[in-house]
Amino acid sequence: MFERIIATAFALVTSISAAGAANVNVKLLHVEQNPQASGFLKEIARRYAIEHPGVNVEIQYLENEAYKKKMTTLLQSPDRPHIIYSWGGGVLREQVEAGVIEDLSASMAGSWQERFNPAGIQAYTLNGKIYGVPMQVSQVGFFYNRDLFAKARVDAGAIKTWDDLLAAVKKLKAAGITPIIAGGADKWPLHFYWTHLAIRNGGKGAFEAALRGDGEGFAAAPFVKAGEQFRQLVDLEPFQPGFLGVTFPQSSGQFGDGKGAMVLQGNFMLNSMRANSADKKGVPDEKLGWFAFPTTAGGKGEASDTLGGLNGWLVTKGAPTQAVDFLKFLSRPEFQREAAARGFFIPVVKGTQDAIANPILRHIAENIGRSRYHQIFYDQALGPSVGAVVNDVSADIAAKVMTPKEAAQAVQQAWQLANQGSR
Amino acid sequence: MTDPVRYDTPVTIAPLLRIAILLLVAGLVLIPLVATVLGGFKSLGDLRVNPFGLPESWEWDNYWSILSGPRYWHLLLNSLIISVLTAVLTLAAASMAAFVFAHVRFFGSRLLLQYLLLGLLFPAATAILPLFIKIRDLGLLDTYWGVVLPQVAFGLGMSILLFHNFFRQLPGELFDAALVDGCGYIRFFRYVTLPLSRPIIAVVGVIVFVHSWNSYLLPLVVLNRDSLYPWPLGMMAYQGEYSTDWQLVLAFVTLTILPAVCMFIVAQKYLVAGLTAGAVKG
Amino acid sequence: MNGKLAVVLLFLPPALFLFTLFVALPMGEAAWYSVYNWNGYGTPENFVGLKNYILLFHDRAFRSALVNNLLIIVVSLAVQLPLAFALAVLVADRFRGAVTFRMIFFVPYILAEVAAGLIWRFVYDGDYGLVAKAATAVGFAAPYVLADRDLAMYAILVVIVWKYFGFHMMIYIAGLQQIDPNLYEAAHIDGATGRQILWRVTLPMLRPTIMLSVFFAVLGSIQFFDLIMPLTKGGPSDSTQTIVTYLYTYGVTRMRIGFGSAVGVVLFLICVAFAFGYNRIRTHHD
Repeated sequence: MFERIIATAFALVTSISAAGAANVNVKLLHVEQNPQASGFLKEIARRYAIEHPGVNVEIQYLENEAYKKKMTTLLQSPDRPHIIYSWGGGVLREQVEAGVIEDLSASMAGSWQERFNPAGIQAYTLNGKIYGVPMQVSQVGFFYNRDLFAKARVDAGAIKTWDDLLAAVKKLKAAGITPIIAGGADKWPLHFYWTHLAIRNGGKGAFEAALRGDGEGFAAAPFVKAGEQFRQLVDLEPFQPGFLGVTFPQSSGQFGDGKGAMVLQGNFMLNSMRANSADKKGVPDEKLGWFAFPTTAGGKGEASDTLGGLNGWLVTKGAPTQAVDFLKFLSRPEFQREAAARGFFIPVVKGTQDAIANPILRHIAENIGRSRYHQIFYDQALGPSVGAVVNDVSADIAAKVMTPKEAAQAVQQAWQLANQGSR
Repeated sequence: MTDPVRYDTPVTIAPLLRIAILLLVAGLVLIPLVATVLGGFKSLGDLRVNPFGLPESWEWDNYWSILSGPRYWHLLLNSLIISVLTAVLTLAAASMAAFVFAHVRFFGSRLLLQYLLLGLLFPAATAILPLFIKIRDLGLLDTYWGVVLPQVAFGLGMSILLFHNFFRQLPGELFDAALVDGCGYIRFFRYVTLPLSRPIIAVVGVIVFVHSWNSYLLPLVVLNRDSLYPWPLGMMAYQGEYSTDWQLVLAFVTLTILPAVCMFIVAQKYLVAGLTAGAVKG
Repeated sequence: MNGKLAVVLLFLPPALFLFTLFVALPMGEAAWYSVYNWNGYGTPENFVGLKNYILLFHDRAFRSALVNNLLIIVVSLAVQLPLAFALAVLVADRFRGAVTFRMIFFVPYILAEVAAGLIWRFVYDGDYGLVAKAATAVGFAAPYVLADRDLAMYAILVVIVWKYFGFHMMIYIAGLQQIDPNLYEAAHIDGATGRQILWRVTLPMLRPTIMLSVFFAVLGSIQFFDLIMPLTKGGPSDSTQTIVTYLYTYGVTRMRIGFGSAVGVVLFLICVAFAFGYNRIRTHHD
């Protein structure tokens, strides 16, 4: 009798929480906070539903940090979303190895695969199989406020080396302007500095060597030097007050409100800036400038190397086939061109980048196209636990509680721990 | 005799000084709460320059936008379902087990009771990871039961303790008389013990309900679907989305603590009676 | 046998089953998992012995968490409890408004910790908060309290005192009101001053009440999570971690099951040690 009560209660309760009654329900989870950009996604979902009656594509949003934190537990739930947003890299590898991601090779073979830039497909290919649909690229660089730079008489075009940047910071400070805005609470905005310096110092070679476990790996000289250079910047106190408690959305809002001259971020920051600024617009395009991350003296990296993302969508195991079909629909060139034109992201589908209206985004697209080494954000590329350590040590260097050497060693230790047959 | 010394406390203090101190402390206690409630009525700009005072203009829309959407009510409903289920199951399991321990002597009963009371020793957090694995393996992730069942399990220690104490204090003659009359244990439980247990059922029920209503860690780990979120998770999700719009977040927080404060105001008569009754005694 | 067997077989299993499945087993499994390096998928295969524990005690963030928990206990016992007691003495009387004051002081306790945390996140916000406004009103620059590694933990301690002093105050009031007023009268006749009465009569009589209050305070101090997360999530730079927030951040969100279980085991041992010590003190004096 107890069982019967339980069973009926269970049924009652699950029926209360059941989703709407469509014949097929495809659930997509994303992290786009900007209402126009997410609205765009919803619009495409709507068009898909019109062309495919009986299929409902549910677009759900989860805030960026919560999304990353919940993903590990989320994927273990029988109720996980069918389509999830991905930064690729080691996190993707772990997800694939856990067996929760669908192999899309068969579906993509042929015309669908042909739509994309080969680099995009490459980023989502593991062991010869394609596990995701690439959607957008981004690059990390310095966005700056032209007015504030002019006020301090800093010439962005003259910033080519790391020392140039430090000099610019000093000049801005002297003019009473906060040089740099940073979202320290989320930590990953700070890891851009460390990572990009490592890329400049050691180039592709150092990273690949570390991945192989050669020599000192991530405790090798380029990485330690990166920490030292970052520490140089930190010592100048360039960030806004309280930066360690500011989240990424808040920091984008602050930059948009003109509270600081520069911010080192990916182009996706623009969406966040518009959503979080007090006037919901932020720094207008004509007042916005961009320059690439400076080079370092004696660095083995190429000036054209880029740090950024290559983001896409994954399909989780057991999802309805309509999920895959929706992604095919979404990656139609006409939609991608629209997204490019409206400045939501830089698409990966071939032949769509000329639709990019925003000059900065155009410039970035060209950079990525030219780059021979596009490094995915370390905190994603190295997998969840090592990536988290990279974030931790970057924040710790910024908070001056860790030495550059300790930082590099911590990353190396985490890497070794995660890769000695862990399971 | 001489001065009207109050004997409830050993120390006398000038009434004026006492009131002054109490008002100061009361103010410090209430300021964050009042500012939160009022903050929900302000526009963002107003909030920035004037976090302490009354709103420059009362923005009812902040509260209204939350109340008029399904999200807020859905959160409350989820919390209600989870908490009621937890309370009912805990009351049932704990009262039954405590009854056995109170009345039936059998080999190992003392040990079993100690075993169940072990749960009092440590918080759910200690075993949260293995618990998560277990809930996942049982297929209960993202279900109400995934939250309810562990909550019941962890609440058993204290509930059994309270019921056990209460049952032991019931007059023994009742039980002996029932035995003589040939009344079985189970019937006794149903027709004598339970009716007499109203006060303790109320107390344990409220404690378990409130604890479940406010709980955050377990739902955070178990629930991913926002349609199942109880209000603490919903509130944090809302804050994550609108982190730069403090006026909306404050309105949301106010609305989520409103049920608890209302219940408190209603129940405080109960509490007052209980406390002043203690004062009269002696 | 009057259904003795029936009642035992019917009434005990639900509680036993639930408890064993969701409390006892996981506790045992925590000890088991803690000697593995495991990410939750499949079964644990990578036996590492006591490595997780060694890593744990070498981790700066964990040591910070231990220190913070200790700090919370100390502040609770040395600041919060005396404050609660002092207020209890002030409001235990029956005077106009006494009950109202008691209710006001109790209100923070009834709020969910996570709500209280979010409210105080607002209070401490460097741009919109009450503290910032108060500071600028007096002429200081608005402090970003929760972003400051040195200040954040103290800010959190303030919230903890704010939240729980009312609860302890109520416990003390109940205790105070149970003291036989004749004792006071007798002491008064003997010429004892208020302060002497306080130390020699009241406090000793309140011993069981104080012990209860200490019990709740320490046990509660060990468990803080809900309050910390909305405020700082354990940051900045792990300066406000507690054992449970550490467990969540480094164990749960990174799916390091073995490591997180080790933290759980350490937490369990701390609780057991406390329960043991508390029992000793209690039985020693009774």
